[in-house]
Amino acid sequence: MDNAMYVGLSRQMTLRRQMDVVANNIANQDTVGFKVEQLILEEKPESPAKTLGGPAPVKFVLDTGLARDFSQGSLRTTGNSLDIAIEGEGFFQIDTADGPRYTRDGRFTLDAGSRLTTQRGDQLVGDGGAILVDTQKGPLSISKDGIISQAGQRIGAIRPVQFASMSNLEKMGDGLYRNTSNVQPTPATTAQMHQGMLEGSNVNAIKEITEMIEVSRAYERMARLVEQTTKLSENAIARLGKMS
Amino acid sequence: MRALRTAASGMSAQQTNVEVISNNIANMNTIGFKRQRAEFQDLLYQNVERMGAQSSDTGTIVPTGIQIGSGVKAGAIYRITEQGTPTLTGNKLDMAIDGRGFYQVLMPSGETGYTRAGNFSKNDQGQLVTKDGYLVQPAITIPQNATDISISASGQVQIVQPGSTAPVLLGQLQLATFFNEAGLEAIGGNMYLESGASGAAVIGTPGVEGVGKIMQAYTEASNVDAVTEITSLIVAQRAYEMNSKVITTSDQMLAAASQLKG
Repeated sequence: MDNAMYVGLSRQMTLRRQMDVVANNIANQDTVGFKVEQLILEEKPESPAKTLGGPAPVKFVLDTGLARDFSQGSLRTTGNSLDIAIEGEGFFQIDTADGPRYTRDGRFTLDAGSRLTTQRGDQLVGDGGAILVDTQKGPLSISKDGIISQAGQRIGAIRPVQFASMSNLEKMGDGLYRNTSNVQPTPATTAQMHQGMLEGSNVNAIKEITEMIEVSRAYERMARLVEQTTKLSENAIARLGKMS
Repeated sequence: MRALRTAASGMSAQQTNVEVISNNIANMNTIGFKRQRAEFQDLLYQNVERMGAQSSDTGTIVPTGIQIGSGVKAGAIYRITEQGTPTLTGNKLDMAIDGRGFYQVLMPSGETGYTRAGNFSKNDQGQLVTKDGYLVQPAITIPQNATDISISASGQVQIVQPGSTAPVLLGQLQLATFFNEAGLEAIGGNMYLESGASGAAVIGTPGVEGVGKIMQAYTEASNVDAVTEITSLIVAQRAYEMNSKVITTSDQMLAAASQLKG
């Protein structure tokens, strides 16, 4: 009898986390370069208390991971010459105080030393380290394969990188990812750079709202299950304990 | 529940978005105004189950891990420096810039401000000033007896004086260009200041080497497009509503949990 309650409880716990993930997706529907996430659930068979080691007919729910959908977000024009969107697979490599980070958020700006940086002030890594511009020479132009030129002269190149397994990436906030494995990224050959554009998030708001409704209904259902299980034991105690 | 706070951060970010859009709409008819856009960034993530953690004694690892985000914040609000439409006013001291560049203005604080609002006037001494009375640099002083003033596309200011038919060259207007115009700091009054992100001002002659041309008797309208702004407003409002739905749903879930014990 108690098993039913614990199965219900395991589902409720995962539903709460699912709700947190959905809420984060909805909150970030307008975030540049944001990739939508989904909780991965699995059944975890266990045997009831009395038959330990025997068949395992009781199936709990367990959240085992988080899937990130790295599909392309929609590109939109901003008209800002330091905005760069990546089309296809690949990440910008950013040099931060805590080591290399990777991002799809291409809103760059200049720091006091005229280097291309993120909005937080971390340097964008080009083919020869930081990308240094000469502010006296007029606007930058960035080709589709990442070559940056100013006044007709090549001053560097953006070399996006890609990962064999993107599940090794950990989100750090501010649109940055960290590589948690020892596998080094390789150059992303298929990526195309678009100057003056940004990549929107790939959140599908309607899908998220639908999922939210499902989560909320499932949670209520589980609450009712727990309630009814309690009533069952209540009834059992009342009947069995009756003196006749 | 984390979802409550996450959705609240989403609502406040969308509120910032609406504020930026409403400022754009309010400045639809401001001369030389450049529209702005709010961009967002995700907040910190909490690792519920760390990826790469060992899941057994034999050395298998958790491949994906669980990271739960905590919402969104407004990352940057930046300016879109597209050209506004030149509008004919017929006023001889209105000068729109067609192309890149800013007029230099001497601010009362001694700093140099930069503006694209070329609706200038004369002060009591005949000096060319902005609508706030700040001097335009390089200074141009128009004599009292000038009967006509003409400004060429390359910024030469010429006047005609009584008793003479030949125009007299009074001075040369110059424009400042910036490497990254979007990085300029707006201080209100159509005025901008140089910043670390904009790069230093490069002074040039109008019409030369990528510097814009001057159009006399025109002003530059704002580059706000009403249809785009209203569409963004609708999108922002819907996003705001969705975030508020997340809050009500989380609240219902909490209520369901608290009603368990009847």
